[in-house]
Amino acid sequence: MKVSVVSRSGREVVKGGIELKDSAKVADLQEAIHAKTKKYYPARQRLTLPAQPGKSGKPVVLSQKASLSEYCEKGSGSLTVVFKDLGPQVYYSTLFFWEYVGPLIIYPIFYYLPVYKYFGYEGERVIHPVQTYAMYYFCFHYFKRIMETFFVHRFSHATSPVSNVFRNCAYYWTFGAYIAYYCNHPLYTPVSDLQMKIGFGIGVVCQIANFYCHILLRNLRSPTGSGGYQIPRGFLFNIVTCANYTTEIYQWLGFNIATQTVAGYVFLAVAAAIMTNWALGKHSRLRKLFDGKDGQPKYPRRWVILPPFL
Amino acid sequence: MATTVSGSALRRLYLSAYNWVVFFGWAQVLCYAASALLESGHEAVYAAVERPLQFAQTAAFMEILHSILGFVRSPISTTLPQITGRLYITWGILWSFQEAQSHVLVTSLIISWSITEVIRYFFFAMKETFGFAPYWLLWLRYSTFLVFYPTGMLSEAGLILVAMPFMKTSRKYYLMMPNKWNFSIDYRHELALDTALIIPGFPYLFRYMVDKRKKVLLAAKTV
Repeated sequence: MKVSVVSRSGREVVKGGIELKDSAKVADLQEAIHAKTKKYYPARQRLTLPAQPGKSGKPVVLSQKASLSEYCEKGSGSLTVVFKDLGPQVYYSTLFFWEYVGPLIIYPIFYYLPVYKYFGYEGERVIHPVQTYAMYYFCFHYFKRIMETFFVHRFSHATSPVSNVFRNCAYYWTFGAYIAYYCNHPLYTPVSDLQMKIGFGIGVVCQIANFYCHILLRNLRSPTGSGGYQIPRGFLFNIVTCANYTTEIYQWLGFNIATQTVAGYVFLAVAAAIMTNWALGKHSRLRKLFDGKDGQPKYPRRWVILPPFL
Repeated sequence: MATTVSGSALRRLYLSAYNWVVFFGWAQVLCYAASALLESGHEAVYAAVERPLQFAQTAAFMEILHSILGFVRSPISTTLPQITGRLYITWGILWSFQEAQSHVLVTSLIISWSITEVIRYFFFAMKETFGFAPYWLLWLRYSTFLVFYPTGMLSEAGLILVAMPFMKTSRKYYLMMPNKWNFSIDYRHELALDTALIIPGFPYLFRYMVDKRKKVLLAAKTV
């Protein structure tokens, strides 16, 4: 079959189009486009069907594993696809690694090295036990995240635009330094012993729960990396769609109860807002996909992210 | 957005009134600034414009509400940073630190802001009251920013730096450690926050206006 590849403005991206076998898959088309254009490797390509005049809504994105013939109009032996360049891509695992390694290194710098001298605080620093535990807790958290990135998570998309590396690292590294500065400050005021224990207790329990949530999510997807969505079940997923975000938020709350810094709470608020935004998207996506029609199960009634609020 | 005739008429009436009033505020700022500059020199500009500036700029807080409530098409993503930036300079720098008030950058700031706002509010007032704005006004509204946005931004950044030593010595708005919440505010936070906001913020807002300009002027030409 002949496939014509055009840009969104109508210009031909591959002159003369591409000839492929009738049984070819979308992935084969992507390989062919890469071969012809050299710089557009498959992860950079976003292929959609042309918008139908009169019809509105999001354009249909070609799924990599599907056969090209599925997208052809009935009877014709040809296909037109619209090409968009997503820009240079990095693997999600690369992105996450660089985001998380920042706080992992920055926090101990504030704990171990005499940095406060440069902020005008001379003299010996007394380190309270809570500050030591906080350092272990914080670093373990980001170490856990890195391990999960390489050994647990199964990503729906393999890659992310390279510009996200700068944006995400700025977010994590800046907040890491902001929290580390106050938690390790020479004039830090610790909370009561009881409050510290309650805070870290909640944090540890929630981190374990969060890890278990990640395992459950991993098992929803097959190892062949085809992504896709299933209804999450088991453990907290039975009552809340994004139980993984829920446990993450409560885990930071535990850390903040133990360390009590405005910086920590600001980070908690921003992180919770970002995760809530994601959770709303995921929840509505799952409800649309699992609408109870055409043999799909109906998505059960659940909290989105933070029972009993949302 | 209200779809009933009375709802949208009320909206137009309110926005007309709002835009004319703020237009006159900024016109006052521009006139007082020009006369002070010609009579006494740049050191006298702030004292001459202080009250109308504070009135006109603080009133602009309403525009955040207008955006949220859908009265106007401007997106909150550009309105909010724009207004908070202006309010910060007006109150957080100029009103708070007398030593900055006689600096020549105040003049460049006031000229940049007031010319831009006089054109802008006149443009909106015309649209809301009469339903149209002449092409020359549209052109001014979408072209003068090419000069005054950068000059305004540079004046703002310059004034922050001018005020900085006085922030340190006066310790105004400071919160020092130790305290129960392990929190502090000092000039370094201001500097860090301002840098972090201006460096990505200015190109974002500027590019937004440049793209809007292309779209708007093209649409007006083809009518």
